[in-house]
Amino acid sequence: MKALVVDDSRAMRKIIAGALRKLGYETVEAADGAEALKVLESGPLPDLATVDWNMPVMDGLTFVTQVRANRDYRALTLMMVTTEAEHGQIVRALAAGAHEYLIKPFTVESLEEKLSLLGLLPEGAQA
Amino acid sequence: MTELVEEFYDEPTDYVEDEALGQIVDAMWASYFAHTEFLLPSFDQHDIEGDILAASVTISGARPGIVTVSVERALGLPLAAALLQDDGELTDEDVYDSLGEVANIVGGNIKALVPDAGPLGLPVVSTAKPLHGASDRLAARLDANWQGQWLTFEVWLAGGNGPENVGG
Repeated sequence: MKALVVDDSRAMRKIIAGALRKLGYETVEAADGAEALKVLESGPLPDLATVDWNMPVMDGLTFVTQVRANRDYRALTLMMVTTEAEHGQIVRALAAGAHEYLIKPFTVESLEEKLSLLGLLPEGAQA
Repeated sequence: MTELVEEFYDEPTDYVEDEALGQIVDAMWASYFAHTEFLLPSFDQHDIEGDILAASVTISGARPGIVTVSVERALGLPLAAALLQDDGELTDEDVYDSLGEVANIVGGNIKALVPDAGPLGLPVVSTAKPLHGASDRLAARLDANWQGQWLTFEVWLAGGNGPENVGG
């Protein structure tokens, strides 16, 4: 399985990508929504994208909205991974087309749990 | 009802307190720094002496403010190495990015406690003490020790007329 990790923080990209690789994912990274769209355009389509909310150039909500507007990307599962913790923000992200929402700080176990709920936990990985 | 709630939450310290800040920092430490030494909170204030490295994020909305984390500059590198779990050669960019992410995580969770909060700003990292608005009030503060050095987390929120960046 392949995941795209979108976050402007290199530290957070490393943490998320590291956790996903331990679960058996191949990962590719992008520092903002615009860069992530370029990754998608260059293909192949990943199974999962983890998306931060607050990023320069293009924020995560705009990225999610643009991905959901493109039928070529309908197989891509989107998980917001963000510090935006208010209920209203979660509702906005889900309404825009995100499939799951994980609030930072998160544990590896909570990430695994979300992937399990999405049916995206690679075979052999423990939830 | 809304008026009653607004009246009840008249002061910023009513909805963001030291305990809430402590819980957020605890959760962050458990998630990303559990493999390192414990973070030891202190009841006393320990102002950072010497060269400082500070990261801040702003909160906009009805009660704007700023969330800051300050450390002795020498602590920046081990903090980044711990967050990245990388003992290799880290750059200044790694150090700034890591401290900024710490401020971002704390700030985002603090924002969730502030009524009618707007967007969170992107992290800003500097070698100077972070500025807050002249009318801001210190809503919460946590001093904690890690590896024998002090970290200070602060939440400043507008007390009335909103922030004016004149320092503090």
